[in-house]
Amino acid sequence: MDNIAGRKSSLNWAVNLSVIFLVLLWIIPTVGLLVSSFRDRDQISASGWWLAPFSAEQAYRARTSTEATPEGDIFVVTGNVFEESEATGTLSAFGVRSIAPGEFTVGTVADLGDGESLSIAENGDYEFRTPEEPGRRGQRIYFTAETPPEFTLENYETVLGAGGMAQAFINTLTVTIPATIIPILIAAFAAYALAWMQFPMRGLLIALVVGLLVVPLQLALVPLLRLHTEWGIGRSFLGVWMAHTGFGLPLAIYLLRNYMVGLPRDIIESAKVDGATDFQVFTKIVLPLSFPALASFAIFQFLWTWNDLLVAKVFLPDGDQAMVMTRKIADDLLGSRGGDWGILASAAFVSIAVPLLVFFTMQRYLVRGLLAGSVK
Amino acid sequence: MKHLASTTAMAVLLAGVANAGGHLAFAPGEGDFNWDSYNSFAEQYDLSGQSLSITGPWTGQDKDLVDSVIAYFEEATGAEVEYSGSDSFESDFVIAAEAGNPPQMAVFPQPGLMADMARQGNLVALPDGTGDWLRENYAAGESWVSLGTVDDTMYGFPYKIDVKSLVWYVPEAFEEAGYEVPETLEALKELTDQIVADGGTPWCIGLGSGAATGWPATDWVEDMMLRTQPPETYDAWVANELPFDSPEVVNAIEEFGYFARNDDYVSGGAEAVASTDFRDSPGGLFEVPPQCYMHKQATFIPTFFPEGTELGLDVDFFYFPAYEGEDLGQPVLGAGTLFVRTEESDVTAAFLDFLQTPIAHELWMAQSGFLTPYTEVNPDVFPTDTQRALNEILTNATTFRFDGSDLMPGEIGAGAFWTGMVDYVTGEDAEAVGAAIQERWEAIQ
Amino acid sequence: MAVQEDTQGASFIQGQAVIWLIGGLLLVAAIALLLPDVRGMLGNSPILQGVLTIVLGVGGCIGYFWASNIVLDKVIFPAKGANAGKNINRANMVRPWLFIFPAFAALGLYLAYPVVGSFIRSLYDRSGDTFIGFGNYAWLMQDSEFQQAVFNNILWALVVPAGSTFFGLVAAQLTDRLSWGNIAKSLIFMPMAISFVGASLIWKFVYANDADIGIVNAFREWVFGADSVDPLQVSFWNNFFLMFILIWIQTGFAMVILSAALRGIPEETVEAAIVDGASPLQVFFKIKVPQIMGTIVVVWTTITILVLKVFDIVYTMTGGNFGTQILPSYMFEFMFRDDGRATAVAFVIMLIVTPVMVWNIIQARKEMR
Repeated sequence: MDNIAGRKSSLNWAVNLSVIFLVLLWIIPTVGLLVSSFRDRDQISASGWWLAPFSAEQAYRARTSTEATPEGDIFVVTGNVFEESEATGTLSAFGVRSIAPGEFTVGTVADLGDGESLSIAENGDYEFRTPEEPGRRGQRIYFTAETPPEFTLENYETVLGAGGMAQAFINTLTVTIPATIIPILIAAFAAYALAWMQFPMRGLLIALVVGLLVVPLQLALVPLLRLHTEWGIGRSFLGVWMAHTGFGLPLAIYLLRNYMVGLPRDIIESAKVDGATDFQVFTKIVLPLSFPALASFAIFQFLWTWNDLLVAKVFLPDGDQAMVMTRKIADDLLGSRGGDWGILASAAFVSIAVPLLVFFTMQRYLVRGLLAGSVK
Repeated sequence: MKHLASTTAMAVLLAGVANAGGHLAFAPGEGDFNWDSYNSFAEQYDLSGQSLSITGPWTGQDKDLVDSVIAYFEEATGAEVEYSGSDSFESDFVIAAEAGNPPQMAVFPQPGLMADMARQGNLVALPDGTGDWLRENYAAGESWVSLGTVDDTMYGFPYKIDVKSLVWYVPEAFEEAGYEVPETLEALKELTDQIVADGGTPWCIGLGSGAATGWPATDWVEDMMLRTQPPETYDAWVANELPFDSPEVVNAIEEFGYFARNDDYVSGGAEAVASTDFRDSPGGLFEVPPQCYMHKQATFIPTFFPEGTELGLDVDFFYFPAYEGEDLGQPVLGAGTLFVRTEESDVTAAFLDFLQTPIAHELWMAQSGFLTPYTEVNPDVFPTDTQRALNEILTNATTFRFDGSDLMPGEIGAGAFWTGMVDYVTGEDAEAVGAAIQERWEAIQ
Repeated sequence: MAVQEDTQGASFIQGQAVIWLIGGLLLVAAIALLLPDVRGMLGNSPILQGVLTIVLGVGGCIGYFWASNIVLDKVIFPAKGANAGKNINRANMVRPWLFIFPAFAALGLYLAYPVVGSFIRSLYDRSGDTFIGFGNYAWLMQDSEFQQAVFNNILWALVVPAGSTFFGLVAAQLTDRLSWGNIAKSLIFMPMAISFVGASLIWKFVYANDADIGIVNAFREWVFGADSVDPLQVSFWNNFFLMFILIWIQTGFAMVILSAALRGIPEETVEAAIVDGASPLQVFFKIKVPQIMGTIVVVWTTITILVLKVFDIVYTMTGGNFGTQILPSYMFEFMFRDDGRATAVAFVIMLIVTPVMVWNIIQARKEMR
């Protein structure tokens, strides 16, 4: 008995550890992006995101001010390197050549030749002495400083502050909610008919659904757009719902039919014997019992439509009135801020915020639905 | 939706009234601008109540800039213009054309797609005489005309030019190390070796661009082509009269490889060339200590420099020099955007006419990032000497050629050429790469 | 059983209430739309407009099923009068078609019609004017990039569904009895919520060829002191690095579906096996897995199909370079340029997946008997 208990607890440990490992493996990439979204472009390229909470020794550039005070036959320029650059932290060394930014120790006077000299105090105050009056360009100062960790909300401000983001958010909801509910409704009826009703050509129709699963979306876009234009729908919200419905249906029917086929036969047949019509059987028995499958498909369809770029691009008109978030981010923001990893990272998080929220709130119902489904 | 649109328009109008005069970037009549051209244009047209939709590739800051130019057109004519920009403008335009509601005007960054669209009947020819006007008023006018012409009909009006034959560097880094700006390609190669001997890395090269990975290398090869072969050979190559695997082209590819495939010459080693994003690539110039000293890229690249970088002070450029021993003059490689229209109407004709006024060029010149071959504009309106110098490279060119990859068919210029270059920098043989591209080209003919 | 009926009755009442509520909302919305003042007000409020369009769209859909059934049962074939019995039978013959009509109308229009149209297009040349038979297919067969893409795609179609299903099954089983199982599940599911564009961005950070940005290279440097390499340029294996991104995304899907199936397994079978002295591993592989085989097939099929459609990851990560080309991204090269070849590639994709489809159809036939 002891033996079994011992094995159990060690097994428990193993399970816990392996789940921890799996979860870590799964979230580390996302955490990296999350941390990066709070850092600015320079920080991202200077040190890994995993070093973000630690202070780092970094090299900076500054330029002396161009306002000089004559002192005898030389000119003296004074100022503070922290004010002339975006650096913060504690100064550790300085230099005048970018290949050796830490050439001189703080507090010493560096002789630059040609009668020029430069000294920098620990608080960043510098004194530059030169025989010639400085021109438009001041003397370059390079220095290394120990910088404390720093996080910024600036990236998010840029992304959320981009013109039309609120409208894009509402437009996305307008696209996704009907595009989630309509295919599920239609598919649920069809799935029930394919699973539990007897009629000719049923097998053929199931085969057709399975076959259509694999049609690449890209293939259908342009012919359908032409069709929509002929019907006078053109590029509109109605068009985008219909397109999402059409594209989402095969999988919806496939998944729901597979679930419904597995429902206990006796409940449905006894209801039919009692005189219930198929419509009643469907709404009273099958629909409530299929709740877990409906809920999970709803989540998937919602995520797909929310993250969709291609369909929205083709079936919605150009311009801000119908701009969805993925498009706003991909075509408007990324184009102009392409190299800015911080902006890209925060844009990615802005766009996944709602899907995550939906998942975490729906998940409770999902679990409840799953538990109900197991009581059979 | 119509209600929504009109209320937005109302809001815009009201905002305009609220800060009257403030919505124009420069008050009419002030500065070195050619206001006469504006006034005579304004007198000529009254398009109140008409509207014009334009789509193009400019987003973000560039969208604000083009909007600031369009504002003068609106002010002068009373028409209402809506410009919308998209990063994937090309596919957007194709889709809109398929749907039967293309914008009235569009800005094409690549002549290849414009030609496809024109042949499919989606575009309308420019007014008669546009070609003659270009020949007369644009430097090297004939080449601009041929750029916008498809099958003997002119569809595209070139406006806003990029110069590609530029090398960016940090002047102070050069001064500190005692390097001189090279005047010849021989000297550039010497400088490259010199930097390596001093323990530095001369070049930052990045070909990464997502699905378009490889395109920066095409500019290199084209520039090398112009520096090793006469322009006629370049034209023959672009038209595929000279095969891609001919010795001339293979040599140009290897000239690029001289820089890009040498681990000592490029930051991160040759392997990093293919994976570094072209937008991140110039960052190496500004690191302390510098990761590289030179970066070859077109006029648009300052957008991707670190924030606060001042052109002419923190960073500067020099002309990517020609071989002294080759006697091919000073060739310049460039690219341009083309305005096209999809309907023949008063408002589109008026807008094309507007683009022919000096003021339409000067307004953007006076802000940033705009070069023009228009000879009537006043170079004094450029805000910095750097930009004036850039424009001089354009107007002083003894040979001016367009980005060849833009002129090639899409499968080559925006496909096989790109991937071929990636294969090349990751170790494949230049001849094999050329042969593969040539094979692809023959397959589409 | 009594309890169950009760809850079903309650949910039916709920269901009816929902239908009435939506019907009412629809009516109110329709009336409101007729009043110009309301329209003017709506014009100013995108939120109201959005809500209205949502109500109209969803309501119209529910309305169809509800109304068509009412019409069938009450008007055309009333279950009353002399022909009551016959009418019920007739109504039941028509009803399946009522149920499946919207779905198959949409399927036919949105998928079958483009497929047929595209197949015809794939027999024409670049411009679409000249019929060239299977010329496009013949050209593809000799193209080396196409051959590479087919090879890679078959790898993808084998590895990604296997990987996702495996990780999904493991995650579903391990988290099942864990106190923090739901949190773990949520975290593993999270990548599902991320768009392909976002996912590519995340993995660019992971794979970056710079020990200061990419965690893979930082790890290599820290543990082995190795120089940084670009994982996406490591020939052949780079395909697997890209596949892992899709596995990372799809594991959540597999886990949610499989976890539901695992919970559906009758406790008695598991308990009986434990009493017989089966080890946990044996219970899992010999008792549990066979019972959820049907669900595993569904998950496997769904992911296989997804693999053959997703072009975004390869397209944004490598653009098909470094020997990582797959068919969907290869097809994208021809889109809008040479529709003849693009559609031909699409049909090759459909061909690859045919075995899976046939298997599914056979499975479905079995279930029906």
